[in-house]
Amino acid sequence: MNVPKPKRSAKALVAAAALVCWAAVGPSAIPTRAADGAPAELTPLPAGRPLNQDMVELGRYLFFDPRLSGDAALACATCHDPKKGWGDGQALSRGYPASEYFRNAPSLLNTRHRARFMWDGRLDGADPGTLVRDMVTESHTMNADGRLVQERLKQVPEYVAMWQKIFGKGSDPYGPRMFNVVGEFIRSIESRNVPFDRYLRGDQGALSEEAKSGLALFKGKAGCTQCHHGPTLSDGKLHRLGVPENPQVWNDPLRAITMLRHYSTSGMPGYMNARTDVGLYAITKNDKDMGKFLTPGLRDLRHTAPYMHNGVFGTLAEVVEFYQRGGGPGSEVRPMGLSDAEKKALVAFLESLSGDPVIVDAPALPPYRPRALGKN
Amino acid sequence: MNSRLAKVGLAAVVVSVAGMLLIAGVGGAQAPKAARPAKAAAPAVPAPAPLGPLPPVPVPADNPMSAEKVELGKKLFFDSRLSGDGSSPCAACHLPEQGWGDAGEISRGYPGTTHWRNSQTIYNSAHYNKLFWEGNVTSLEAQAPAAAEGNVAGNGDPAMMEMRLRFIPEYVAAFKRVFGTEWPRITHAYMAIAAFERTIVSDPRKVPFDRYTMGDKTALTAAQLRGLAVFHGKGGCIQCHHGPLASDQKFHVLGVPENEVFKTEPLYQITHRWEQYQKGLAENRYREAGQDFGLYYQTKNPKDDGKFRTPSLRELKYTAPYMHNGVFYTLDEVVDFYNKGGGPAANKSPLMRPLGLSEQERKDLVAFIESLSMDEPLIVKPPALPPYAVMK
Repeated sequence: MNVPKPKRSAKALVAAAALVCWAAVGPSAIPTRAADGAPAELTPLPAGRPLNQDMVELGRYLFFDPRLSGDAALACATCHDPKKGWGDGQALSRGYPASEYFRNAPSLLNTRHRARFMWDGRLDGADPGTLVRDMVTESHTMNADGRLVQERLKQVPEYVAMWQKIFGKGSDPYGPRMFNVVGEFIRSIESRNVPFDRYLRGDQGALSEEAKSGLALFKGKAGCTQCHHGPTLSDGKLHRLGVPENPQVWNDPLRAITMLRHYSTSGMPGYMNARTDVGLYAITKNDKDMGKFLTPGLRDLRHTAPYMHNGVFGTLAEVVEFYQRGGGPGSEVRPMGLSDAEKKALVAFLESLSGDPVIVDAPALPPYRPRALGKN
Repeated sequence: MNSRLAKVGLAAVVVSVAGMLLIAGVGGAQAPKAARPAKAAAPAVPAPAPLGPLPPVPVPADNPMSAEKVELGKKLFFDSRLSGDGSSPCAACHLPEQGWGDAGEISRGYPGTTHWRNSQTIYNSAHYNKLFWEGNVTSLEAQAPAAAEGNVAGNGDPAMMEMRLRFIPEYVAAFKRVFGTEWPRITHAYMAIAAFERTIVSDPRKVPFDRYTMGDKTALTAAQLRGLAVFHGKGGCIQCHHGPLASDQKFHVLGVPENEVFKTEPLYQITHRWEQYQKGLAENRYREAGQDFGLYYQTKNPKDDGKFRTPSLRELKYTAPYMHNGVFYTLDEVVDFYNKGGGPAANKSPLMRPLGLSEQERKDLVAFIESLSMDEPLIVKPPALPPYAVMK
């Protein structure tokens, strides 16, 4: 597996290190299948380690604070809005001012249970702090210098007080920890009151009969569990489905710019010639990875339309229809051969994977205050 | 800094010095006899290079001028796509109608931030061998990226800005003609901007003092002539403000008062600390940093604390406010500051001492300094900018 050449940014180095690490252990290190080779069970979300609630609280403020972006125009919450399923409700995410992004803003629900982050899977799911750093500092998302953000936080006494409650007296807001604080908040965003989880715990009445037959199809005839299994219903791997291109990517120069620029900074050969989203290939430069994208989890889809890496499908019925055909050109999946009633049942089951909306209110943000000059 | 550019910088110095010698040789820039300092007041330093008209701009061998390159550079100078969020082209802080600065004490900086120093004029910047108040770069080609990519200035990502240029067909064609590349490159954009900036220079025919030096003895008023004498004599200005640029291009401590905004305004304080941090101060100095250490950031030598590069005195009519932090709004204030011998500072230049100028002498000096500015400013209108297009 090729690893991108180290570039001058620390970000790139960390990304490269993550890839090396990934290459060493292989994506197969993520437990996806039972020992007998059968698809792993569908299980409720496991309890993770207890979260540091002080970090979650400070992280909540920072998540909503636009001062984490270069021109103080965007917060994490701008594109990951709790009221829009922690995405932005758009097919393609807006990106930083003067840019437009070329992929869908994924929901942040159940982030803590994911194997990898980003549609091209380039970030390690065990490390949401690095995900946050990537978003805050990347040119097409929040475009901020981490050191400047750090000095901004130091200018807010409430933040310094919350920080010192976590990290001790005399500790200052500091890059990597700052991003980990937001990462801890993101870990706290989990599905709530999911009918399917209640069903798995023994409440037979939690699923409708239609959803139950959809579950049987999901595990059987439709073959969904081949990739969608485990607690988030994702194998944590990348696959090629031949999802149709979203014409808005190439027909809007602002989006095409962010796409080719992403390929350029990923060190992809021939990046100026790309006209479609190459997905994992930009990271591995391996031909067999062309057009592969990360399997998303299937929880809370009711709140997170539109779907796929480029938001081309507005409804779950459209998504199921796409799989029914066996996907698009070059797809790894086969036609499902479901009847209309079966397709409906499958959608009913998918909807049972959605819980109550997880709403976190935006806090009132504390303002900058003057400090004593020379007491830094 | 790559060594090639460093060499270009050196070449520029040589050309500039050669120009000075030439002028000295023909005697064109000599101060009038009346202006010769009295022996008692003469400082014990080598005779400074004489004032005089600027020579042609030095052009680095690896970035020759062409009309088409200058035209491309002009567009890029005004093009906001060369900044992070499309808000801050070069011209945002270097406005032609504001003397190619931004008329603020401290430059406005990128949205969500402020800068921490005064936005310097583009006028005659082609003649400096070092740029920025602490002299961090040695060419216009190196200055442009520092500003376009600096987080409190343009905050642009070079790869992003480069890709934007590639989606503007008119630029693709122009870069191909000028630089011969299939796709625009960001380094070439900076070279084109530098070429444009080499055209923003004083026109000696429009500068009263230059006309005087070239033989028009009526070009200066009586007050300006008296000021010229003060400049060379009792004022001692010529010690640092000499040569065609009226700058020794060296670094000095004057004890300029700190700008009060750093004591009270959070946005300025944020940038103040960020600068100390990102310029690589040791932690103990960062913790206590309550001032702009100037040249120290480049040398990390405490002897250089608070030293700033001597600016040119040309075009000051159009470039208020003055000093690295914009604390003085008028030349009268500046002259008063020098007359008092500058301000308090631990390692103030020994050249700074009370001058004992009378009110008339101070007025005359200001009148003379104004004669170093063109009769009218050089205004370049923002050009029409080419649009993005879908790539084939």
